[in-house]
Parts: sequence; C-alpha cells; structure tokens
Amino acid sequence: MLAAGMVSEMTTLEAGTHEQPRLAGTNYLTHSRGIWSWLLTLDHKRIGMMYLVSVLGAFFLGGMFALLVRTQLLTPEGTIMGQDEYNQAFTLHGAIMVFLVIIPSVPASLGNFVLPIMLGAKDVAFPRLNLFSYYLWIVGAIFFVLAMVLPDGGLDTGWTFYTPYSSSAEKGTLMTGVIPALTGVFILGFSSIFTGMNFLTTIHRLRPPGMTWFRMPLFLWSIYATAVIQVLATPVLGITLALLIVERAFGIGIFNPALGGDPVLYQHFFWFYSHPAVYIMILPAMGIISELIAVHSHRHIFGYKFIAWSSIAIAIFSFLVWGHHMFTSGQSALVTVIFSAITFSVAIPSAVKVFNWLATMYKGHISWNTPMLYGMGFLFIFTIGGLTGLHLGTLATDVHLHDTYFVVAHFHYVMMGSALLAFIGGIHHWWPKMTGRMYNENMGRVAFTMVFVGFNVTFLTQFMLGSQGMPRRYATYPEDAGFQIYHVISTFGSYFMALGFFLTAAYLIASLFNGRRAPANPWGGRSLEWQCASPPPHDNFSEQPTVGDCYDFTVLEWSEEEQGYVWRSDIARPGGESAPAASEGGH
Amino acid sequence: MTTFISMLLLMLGAASPDQGGPTFWMPESASAQAPFVDHVFDFINVICYIFLVLITAVLVWFAIKYRQKKGEVNFSDDGPVHNTPLELTWTMVPLLLVVAIFYIGMVGFLDLRRSPDSSYEISVTAQKWTWAFDHPEFGVNQSGEVMVPLGRPVQFLMASSDVLHSCFIPAFRVKQDVIPGRYSRLWFEATKPGTYQLYCTEYCGMDHSKMLALVHVLPEDEFQEAMGKLATEYMDLPEQDLPAYALDRLYNRCASCHSLDGSSQIGPSFKGLWERTKSGSTVFKDGTKLSDLIGPGKTYEQPEDYIRDSILMPQSHIVANYAGAMPSFQGQLKERQVHSLVLMMKYLDRLVDDNGNRIESPSLEELQGAGDGDSGAAPGEGADNGTDADAGGGNGE
Repeated sequence: MLAAGMVSEMTTLEAGTHEQPRLAGTNYLTHSRGIWSWLLTLDHKRIGMMYLVSVLGAFFLGGMFALLVRTQLLTPEGTIMGQDEYNQAFTLHGAIMVFLVIIPSVPASLGNFVLPIMLGAKDVAFPRLNLFSYYLWIVGAIFFVLAMVLPDGGLDTGWTFYTPYSSSAEKGTLMTGVIPALTGVFILGFSSIFTGMNFLTTIHRLRPPGMTWFRMPLFLWSIYATAVIQVLATPVLGITLALLIVERAFGIGIFNPALGGDPVLYQHFFWFYSHPAVYIMILPAMGIISELIAVHSHRHIFGYKFIAWSSIAIAIFSFLVWGHHMFTSGQSALVTVIFSAITFSVAIPSAVKVFNWLATMYKGHISWNTPMLYGMGFLFIFTIGGLTGLHLGTLATDVHLHDTYFVVAHFHYVMMGSALLAFIGGIHHWWPKMTGRMYNENMGRVAFTMVFVGFNVTFLTQFMLGSQGMPRRYATYPEDAGFQIYHVISTFGSYFMALGFFLTAAYLIASLFNGRRAPANPWGGRSLEWQCASPPPHDNFSEQPTVGDCYDFTVLEWSEEEQGYVWRSDIARPGGESAPAASEGGH
Repeated sequence: MTTFISMLLLMLGAASPDQGGPTFWMPESASAQAPFVDHVFDFINVICYIFLVLITAVLVWFAIKYRQKKGEVNFSDDGPVHNTPLELTWTMVPLLLVVAIFYIGMVGFLDLRRSPDSSYEISVTAQKWTWAFDHPEFGVNQSGEVMVPLGRPVQFLMASSDVLHSCFIPAFRVKQDVIPGRYSRLWFEATKPGTYQLYCTEYCGMDHSKMLALVHVLPEDEFQEAMGKLATEYMDLPEQDLPAYALDRLYNRCASCHSLDGSSQIGPSFKGLWERTKSGSTVFKDGTKLSDLIGPGKTYEQPEDYIRDSILMPQSHIVANYAGAMPSFQGQLKERQVHSLVLMMKYLDRLVDDNGNRIESPSLEELQGAGDGDSGAAPGEGADNGTDADAGGGNGE
C-alpha cells in the first residue's frame, strides 16, 4: 500500500501536505496530531525523527550486548556466560550495530531531516518511498528480534556469516537464528537502497536556484557519495545472503565445500559489499564533521573542493579494496599484494581531509560547545583509527595482526569512535533544529568527556591486546598469556563510556521538557537549515530561499534578543529580496 | 632483502633491535621471520607517533588559541581557504610514506609466503575444536600439541575437516586460514627452544576459544629422539598399558565431542559406552537396536567389533538423538591404536572416576590378562613412556 504510486512521486511532491489548512505559527511537530499522523506521515522530518528514535533504540540494545561481552572477558575463564551464550552476544552486538545502527544512523535519521532543508526543498524527491524505507527497516529489525527470541534460535555465526559454518544446518533444525537474521539483513538492504536512491534523486533534481554542485554544503556531498555506494554495493550483499539462505535451507552447494561449493568465494562476495559498507558508515560522519568544524569554528571550510572530491574518490576506491579483509584467507599472493597497494591509496584522501579540517580551525572563532567537542574528539580518534590502518594494510604486519584484538580496536576507532561519535555530535548540532529546544551545554561537555575518555580507555588497550596475540571472538583466554589486565582496563573503560551515554540520553530527554526554546540559528550556521525556524514549519520554507556561500560566516551577528545569530544589519542580503527571516518562527 | 631493509630501519632509528623477549607491543619472538615483522611494525609505529603528536598538538593549539572570545558578536574571516603548495605537501608526504610502508610490507609478506624447499613438513588437520598434527616422516600423530625441530624450516600443510579455522602462532608472527576442501600452507623457522601457544583465529563455533594447541620447539637431536619414541611407543607397550595409553595419548582427539563424565555433547559420552554396547541397549536413528546387530552371523560378530566400526566407519550406524558429525579415523589410526581405544572403552571405569577425572595410578594388575593379543615389550618401557608423555606437556591442557 505504501509503495503504491511511488514511481511518479516527483510530480506529486506535495502529496499529503495540504490535508489540513496550514495554521500560522505551527511547526512540523504541531502541524497535525495523533499517532497516525506520525505513522503515515510523508514529512521527511517526521520520518527522520522516527528513524532517530528507532536507531537509538537499536543502539541501546547493541550497547547492552557490548557490555555483556566486556563483562564476560573480565576473567580468563569467562565471567558470566558459557561459550554458546558469548558467541551469540558478540554476534548480536556486531550485527545490530552494523546493520541496524551505524548504516542507517546518519543518512536515514539526520540525513532525512536535514538534507531537504539544506536544499531549500519541501521534502525528498519520493516521500512515499521514504516512508516505505522506514517500514522496511522496522520489518528487518523484527526479523533480528526473531533471530534472538526464537526457541532453539541462537544466532552465533558472527556478523560476517562466514560459510560453511553459517550454511551448514548442523544444529538440527532450520529455525535457528541464521535464516531470520539473513532475511532481516536482506530487507534492511532494500531499506538502505531506497534511501540512497531517494537522496540521489533529491540532490540531482531539487537543488534550489543558485546552488551549484560546488555550493552544496559538504554534508550533502558525503551523503551523495554514500548514496552511490548504497545503491551499487548493497544489491551484492542481498544476492550473497539469498544464496546463503538457499544453501542453508535447500542444501544447494554454493559456498559449502561438502556440497561442492567454495567458502572463500563467500568471503569475496561478502566483502565486496561490506568493505564499501565501511564507507557507507564513515562518509556521512565525515560530512557531519565538515559541518561541525566549519560552523563552530565560524571559519570558511578549507579546501572545499578537495573535501568534496575526496568523498567521491573514497566512494570509488571503496569498491577496489575488499581483498584486504582476506590477506590470510588463502587468496593468491599476487592478488593480495595488489589489494594492499590499492588499500594504501585510500589513506591519502582520508589524511588530507583531516588536514583540511585542522586548517579550517586556523584563525577561526572556535566555540567549545558540545558539537565542536565531538568534532575535535573525532579528529583525534579518527587519526588513531586511520593510522592503525597502516599496520593492517601492510602485509607483513597484517599477517600477525589479522583476526586479533588489534583489528577489533582499529575498526571500533573508525566505526564507533568516528562514525558513531560524529552521529552523536550531529544529534547535538541539529538538536535545537529538530526539537526546538536547547540542551544543557554543561551537561553536554561533561558527558562528552566521559564518552571520550571511556572510549579511549576501552579501545586503546585493545591494540596492545591484539599485537600481543589475543584472537577475536574468544569467550575465554589462556591465563598465562598476560591478557587479563588489558581486558579489565578495557571493560572498566566501557562502563565509564556507557555512563556517559546514559547521561547524554538523560539531559537530551530532559531538554524536551525544560530546555530553553531554541532560536533559528543558535550556532551561527550559514546553510539553509539555519534560515528556517526551530523547529521548522511543515513545509520548511514559506518561499524559495536564496543560496549564498554556505561557509561564509562573516555575514552573521549575534542577537541578544533572539539569543541566536541573525543576518548582519549592515550587510544586504543576496538578491535584495525578502529572504525568509531567521526570526520568522512561531515563538 | 629483508635483512637489508631491517638494517636500514635500525640505522634510521625507526625500529628497535630484536631482543627476543616480549615488548610493550609484541609478544616473545621465536622465529626467523619475527624480527623483520617487528621492525616493520616499529617503523609504522614511529610514523604513527609523529603524525598523532603533530595533529593532536595542532588541534589543541588551534582550539585554545582561536577560542571564540566572550562578547564576540560577529566573525571576521581573514584565514586562507585554499593554499596549493601546502595542500600538495600534505598530499605528497603521506603518499611517499605509504609507498615505502607498502613496499617493505610486501617484501616481508612474500618472505612469509614462500617456504624454503627443504622444509620439514607436518600435516595439520583442523577439526572443531582440536588440532591434529601428523609427521609423515616418522608416522607419528600428535594432537593438541606438536613438536617441531629448532633452526629448520617447518611447513604446515593444513586442511580442515569441517568449517574455516585459522592457525596463529603469535611468537612466530605467522597466521594462515585453514579451509575445508583445499590445502593451505604456513611455514616458520623456530629460533628458540621452548613451548609456544597456537590459537585458532577464525571463528568456528562453540568452543572456538578452546581450540588451542602447544608448539614445542626442540633442538634437533632431542626432536629426533622424541619422534622416534612417539613413533613406536604403542608398539612396544605391554597389552595392559594400552588402555592408559589410549586415554592419555589418543582420547584428546575425541574429547571435543565425547565426554568421560556421562554428559552428552556432540556425540554420546564414553562413560558406560561399553556397558551399553555389551548389553546391546544402544538405539540407532533408524530405530534398530544394537542387540539385533550383534551375534554370530550378524553385522557385528563381537561387541568389540561395533566399537571398532564406530571409529573407522562412524556413519554406518548413528546413535539416536545425535547428528552423526563424526569423521572417519580410517588410516589415521594404526591397528594397535584402534585396539587400544577398544580396550580403553572396556576398562574406562578403572581409568577415570565418576566425574570423568583421570585416576592417577590405575591398578594395572587389575587390567592384566584382559586382552588375548600378543604382549609387547617389558613393563619397564611402559613406565618410561609415561614420563615421556609428561615431558610432552600437552596432556590435559
């Protein structure tokens, strides 16, 4: 039903927006009421908020599994679980965090909310498809929950579903968690593809007059690059998992050597998607960081074109490096050497982005509020995550480090410390816009410090664990290998980080009830979302806004009356027409 | 080539000389390849430290120096938005560095992959969740532990009989996946006598974290002597020592699926197995009862034949409620070893207590006269073998 008619959405862009007479002074939250006005909404902002709540719920669940895993490893013989339970805990932690949290986090929630507003558009190109994507996510999540709670369930394959372990139904019945989980990932894949297609079309077709490609905010460039990967790579994952389901359910030999298949082929297929997926996770985060650093430093972004092109370069390279997950898998030495070489080429655009962000801060006016702290925290963490990639891209050292905690630490620095913390930073950055409320800035700083310190304590120690030889996915470990002290430090770090997240949740929720009302432009941003009210009205803009250089902050000034930034009274607006005033909001 | 690069890195101060002992980052190093891997690791570390300190310092410096001042109502912006020489520099310097890192990493990798022609070969079979090592040169099978000669290239020719595994010996800095349906190779040259941990590092199911083994590096003469003993020990043992031999030296290959304490694992417990076999009370998947199969003219002439058959042709009759996951040990066990296992089943209650724990000194006299086969060598050699097994150090690990 929801999917019906979505093909010709372009022409019916305003579908669903004129059901009720527009009341002066309403925003997207108060525009219509009742549960169905949310569940059947076509408003990108409401869909973005529903994604945000759902993704954060999944983040809580995945985080709980992470704490179980960390607690288990306090002692060499295992603290709270048996082998089977541990294997399920780390599998669910990984699968939930990757498929339900990080991949949809930035594009589907923040991207959905911000992208059309940044373009000065009323909505995404295909609003119905957008809602459909959300419900696909929900169905995918339900399959994951099924995989967890089914009797005789127990998904214990690791999030990578390596064959033949995942495809041999030796536990007896077919109703183990594997098939529901695979089905869930398959459906989530479509959610991701549809979101990607939607954003690609929106960016191509709905840019406002004056916004050339190189005038887009960098967040849009990174979402664009992400969408390209989503659309091109995700189908490969879908096909691979479908083959895996067929093998497991019907015994048709594809990956299982006992049936004439090839397990290494599965790894190629899987990483052909899952390596680009790494960039589905990190590129949007880089986009957020470009916004956070520029807006909160109040400085024109340094090297705009390079940052924009590097997103595209990373998206292209991401398709050519999957083999670096398989240096010890038995692929040929020649192929291995080639993959290593291409892998290093990804290091360059990533490194240059970091230098560009640093240069943006030079001679800036840096406000030390929570989003900027997350931005700076990202720079530190991403630097470590990127640099330790050198050890892993280098063949001689990767042989020793592969499948140890060094890898675990490395990808947590990139996936969690970089991608997820950028997401949290982005939530703070756009929180006033999304909710119309200011959160408590001091609490934000405290919570950031806890998360930042906790994160580094948790994962820095894991580098040493890994290089000392501790393998991944171990429920127990030898007592005399000297691993325990690192595990204990890491576990307490993770508890501290968890407290930081709980504090964050607490003050963000509290701000909904007693937060100061947010001005249209609390930070001094120039992109279009800071020109509409907080929270934005249902249609975002009452008339087509005019686009200028979205990183020129010199035209703004602080207004005591607004408690936010407004256009400088001594500088004329571009075009001279009455652009939507920052103070137009209904409060 | 590796030696030259190592020297260069040491001279540049970008790597620390190899001490052999554990360092802050790396575990003990005990193979010919390890020093080069460590030098590359140290070199990358130096680059990482420099960049991390530089970036962090600049970050903190800017954050403090350019902090927004109180009462600043608008923003002047006279900073650069573009600087070609600067941008070229910070593109080219990392580029040159990663080319260098890639190159030395590749050299080290090719060294790890190419095994010398004259290496000592050991066949390795990975199976949930044990490692078995066969020395074709001596006809010796080991499991859960392997002895290797010092100072000679050793090559593992590895195969998996079920799912993916990976053989990782941190002290040697080597790792290679073990794949069902094809062979993979891994080689090293141990440089220090001692015992080193071997891990499985590719997730393989329930007891993945218990799929460990020990690598004993022995000087050449000790190695030859130990192999010689292992090759013939069961031939020389007297009949009454065979059950204990089977339990101490062969059972660890069964242990991941068959318990001694009556608990049901992947396969039926060995506890009470002989009683179930003798009385024929075992029921199979297809509903037949073992008692219908034993007797003159039937499938199994003697109850012992059923146990023998279960080891060599495990798929022919699968006990009810089990999946039938057992591989055949045909060709892997010598006739006398199979015989030892049959005897072990028969006298198991005298070798282990009710909880499946090994009774330290089973009264061998009680077992005397049990079998009807030819008795081997003098009892003295059996005792000798007992100490030898202890020296191996792998039992009960």
